[in-house]
Amino acid sequence: MLLPLLLLVPLGYAITHMAVAGTTEVGPMQTAAVYIVLMLAAHFGLVAAGQRGDMLLLPLVATIGGIGLIMLNRLAPDVATTSAFGLNLDIAATQVMWFGVGVIAMLAVAIGLRDDRILRHYKYTWALAGIGLLVFTFMFGTEVNGARLWLYLGPVGFQPGEFLKIVLVVFIAGYLAEHRALLRDAVWRVGPIRIPPLPYLLPMLAIFAIVMLVVIFGKDLGTALLFFGIFLTMLFVATGRRSYVLIGLILFVAGAFVASRLFDHVARRMDAWIDPFADPSGAGYQTVQSLYAFGRGGLFGEGLGRSLLPNAGGGFFGVETDFVFAVVGEELGLVGAFALLALVLALVFRGLRVAILARDDFSAMLAVGLTTSVGLQTLIISAGILKVIPLTGITFPFVSYGGSSLLSSFIVVGLLLAISHRSAVATAAETVGPGEPDR
Amino acid sequence: MTGEVLRILLLVMQLAFLGILYLILLNFARSLLRDLRNAEEAQQASRAGIGRLTVLESPEDEPPAGRPIALGPINSIGRNVNNTIFVEDDFVSANHAMLTFRGRSWFIEDQGSTNGTYVNGHRIDRPVALSFGDELTIGRVRMRLER
Amino acid sequence: MIATNVRRLSLYLVLSFAIVSGGLSWWQVIDAPALDARQDNPEVIAARRSQPRGSIFDARGQLLGSSRVVDGISRRTYTDPAFAHAIGYASLRFGTSGLERAWDDILTGRTDPNPLNDIVNDVLDRRPTPRDLTLTLDQRLQDFAAAQLGADAGAVVALDPRTGAILAMTSTPTFDATPISGDPDEAAQPMERIQDQPGNPLVDRSRQGHYTPGSIMKVLTAAAALDGGAITPRTTFRDQPRQETEGFVVEGFRVREHDLSPVTPALWPLSEALQVSSNIFFAHVGLEVGVDAYLEYARRFGFCAPLEIGQTTRVLSVAASFVTAPQDGDCSPFQDRAELAQAAFGQGRVAVTPVQMALLAATVANDGVRPVLYLVRDVRVHAARPASGPSEAVLETYDPAGGERVIGSQAAADVRRAMVDAVQGPLGRLYAGAGAVTNYGISGVATAGKTGTAELGPNVAPHSWFIGFAPADATGTPAIAVAVIVESGGSGSGRAAPIGGAVMAEWLRLQGS
Repeated sequence: MLLPLLLLVPLGYAITHMAVAGTTEVGPMQTAAVYIVLMLAAHFGLVAAGQRGDMLLLPLVATIGGIGLIMLNRLAPDVATTSAFGLNLDIAATQVMWFGVGVIAMLAVAIGLRDDRILRHYKYTWALAGIGLLVFTFMFGTEVNGARLWLYLGPVGFQPGEFLKIVLVVFIAGYLAEHRALLRDAVWRVGPIRIPPLPYLLPMLAIFAIVMLVVIFGKDLGTALLFFGIFLTMLFVATGRRSYVLIGLILFVAGAFVASRLFDHVARRMDAWIDPFADPSGAGYQTVQSLYAFGRGGLFGEGLGRSLLPNAGGGFFGVETDFVFAVVGEELGLVGAFALLALVLALVFRGLRVAILARDDFSAMLAVGLTTSVGLQTLIISAGILKVIPLTGITFPFVSYGGSSLLSSFIVVGLLLAISHRSAVATAAETVGPGEPDR
Repeated sequence: MTGEVLRILLLVMQLAFLGILYLILLNFARSLLRDLRNAEEAQQASRAGIGRLTVLESPEDEPPAGRPIALGPINSIGRNVNNTIFVEDDFVSANHAMLTFRGRSWFIEDQGSTNGTYVNGHRIDRPVALSFGDELTIGRVRMRLER
Repeated sequence: MIATNVRRLSLYLVLSFAIVSGGLSWWQVIDAPALDARQDNPEVIAARRSQPRGSIFDARGQLLGSSRVVDGISRRTYTDPAFAHAIGYASLRFGTSGLERAWDDILTGRTDPNPLNDIVNDVLDRRPTPRDLTLTLDQRLQDFAAAQLGADAGAVVALDPRTGAILAMTSTPTFDATPISGDPDEAAQPMERIQDQPGNPLVDRSRQGHYTPGSIMKVLTAAAALDGGAITPRTTFRDQPRQETEGFVVEGFRVREHDLSPVTPALWPLSEALQVSSNIFFAHVGLEVGVDAYLEYARRFGFCAPLEIGQTTRVLSVAASFVTAPQDGDCSPFQDRAELAQAAFGQGRVAVTPVQMALLAATVANDGVRPVLYLVRDVRVHAARPASGPSEAVLETYDPAGGERVIGSQAAADVRRAMVDAVQGPLGRLYAGAGAVTNYGISGVATAGKTGTAELGPNVAPHSWFIGFAPADATGTPAIAVAVIVESGGSGSGRAAPIGGAVMAEWLRLQGS
């Protein structure tokens, strides 16, 4: 399943270079080559280590990441280069470097995590560590675009929020797996109304509320929305109660409304969502410019390398990160942008399949949470850019430029591989085991 | 004029790119559907079972470690050979615990054993509802409830 | 249990992705043409910057506007400020206005008359071929009208009633659009200078000016009443002479007559009432028509909705004229009969544009048929050297035939006759500037018209109005209809009527020569 990449990524590189330079030369291919070698190595690494996890996850991720790399390679000359470890790298090369780091992390998690007890038995410790990290960022972090999300260790900056996402999923999965039966069956009756048993939810709600507060005061609305979505989804899967989701959604909409009254930056987002064209050069600029990009793309796209978004009058930011989906829409058209969404949906399906096949509740909940994080993140940013929901900044998994995002996404894949490996081994033991088990 | 030839070339390449992208997508979709069918079948085959115990640790190797035990709705656990699940361990009472499936959940109840029954490391003093993945400790034998 | 919930979850996720794909389809396919056409779209800006743009010629092939690409920047030059409003500007910094905006796709060549060429151009990245426009406007008449207005703020609109072709459409004060249509980095200062000038030169008074019409509205009242059978040319009202001295009370509102001296009030029928411009008479006539029918006639003449100059997608829009208070872009119903009585002689809440009033005159002149207004006569192949005239190769000709019958022939003839009397009759001569209109040299040609004096309140000079047409002989359709407004120009007979007469005379002279 990885072999088509050998064709796809170099072809994309060639089109881009030819369109930009106006020649028939295909241009440099180093980063494409390194990327493909990296993905093939990751695949054979898993096979060699006897990893029997889901065999489609990595090819899906590699295809999605490949499309992203083609986009970033195009943007490379327009966005400043970064220098790390004494090397001057353009953003495509930097991204490939982070792909390398991500793949190593994925292999380590997928192969190394034979037992999930380190995750499930220390869930409170994980949660506290995650929150501590976030509070630390909030206090000592660096502010970028009005939100304090970055922590710098020397020259390398990272976003703790990306990793907190995983920690949060582990914690919620652990808690829900333990208390699932109670949450599902126990009911408090207040007259004719049946309400969920609050005391069982409280510890989780408390931790969750702390996370939300920190995130909201750090002004990272996208991450807040993502966390909330993950939380509600996992609660729904654990209990099967739509009422939880409904109450949660009502609370969220009410909260968003109150926030838009209290905070200027939320109010601005709301106004820009309702009518971005009212202030096309101010509050609505980002949205309007990305909608123009989609419009220019049309059905089949302007062609790779021909996006105008990177030089849309100068003030546009985030073309390589949060708004990369608009570039995909412009260069590959509706056909290409839809294919990218379909690939992510396929990845999500694969992740949910891992959950269904999982042998125990904790693993199932973990797989659901991790998969949901990838799916919801894609939905939040693409729907935001497309003005379906208010725009909140968040990365497009595996496509956006950014080390933290890539690394955390690859850890998610590693965890999914580890979970599916365990269920595959258990199933094998069942079918090829020596005779019927004792009664 | 060469510019226009280049444009046509790029157009063809772009369409080829999208074509390959959709072939890849189609390939993934086929695999997805095939696995979905297989999963259905596998599930139908295993639907008969309502759960099983995987033995994680068993000093006397009876039941043998690493093997799953298929469960019926009512399972008695103990050192007496008449128990549904026979456990060979000195720290296990003759009639140690009952593991039952009631309605939608599994429950474990201690039968007045000497050394007690543990769920996820906590000793139980009344019937307790179990989730899949919970760990039971009976004597020195550790088992995990799985689907 | 979990497996079941996960399956349900996957369904919700598919639904969510479907919604996002729906959004994608909306912006990329369904709404894409609208997005692509917006002026602040970087693609439009980038294309515009270096794109050659078609030239614009007047009806006789005089060059009005043309572009040259110098240093990679498309710079536009306009030859005549009298056209600044009708043609507008094509600025790399401030976008486009007027005809430059309405016909942008043709001038830039962005849209080819053959859609297949559009696709080929798009795929091959070919620079679109600009195209030239020939207008119906005649530079000689346009300049003449602008000169007549002089330093006053106002507007002149002249139409050919038979075809709807606009012969002149000018608004003063005007401005020079050339400095703001050159290098975008040097366009800001000239624009500021224009904006700082008194009298809002950027506003096109002919299309966007909203004015109280005063007595010229009586033409519409007469047309509605005669066509609907509410009055005949001989109808009089019993209490009319007494009310003309004492006032006429409608639902508690007292309609007052203007100063009628030197004549004494009498039992006047339509012709005399129009000659002396009796408010009381037309208040009665309006009430005879009734609230619903009056609004219906106003709509037929083009009121209550924006007027369009041109057809299909490339229209120059004219602000809607209103008879009553505007409501969601439409006229609201009359509040009471008192409001109708005032509207019938052009006061109250009536607000009109000069183009609308010219169209009213043209409709009466054209036997009651409202012509279709147009300003662009044809589209031609781009002339390589615009200074030496337009190309011979005409790609498309616009000649909107037909029009819509608004009132019957007989009613139109009766109104025409009354309007001739209003200029040339024994009483009319006293009011319409003692025959000032006829004195402008249209010898032997009958002229029709109506003056208006839009009272704005005490101590404010009223706006001066005139609408009319010529020749107004019993045979043949008039060749020109005009509407003239001079802001704060005093009485209609004092300022607007002489201008209207002069413009019509000049046109007939030009046609004759």
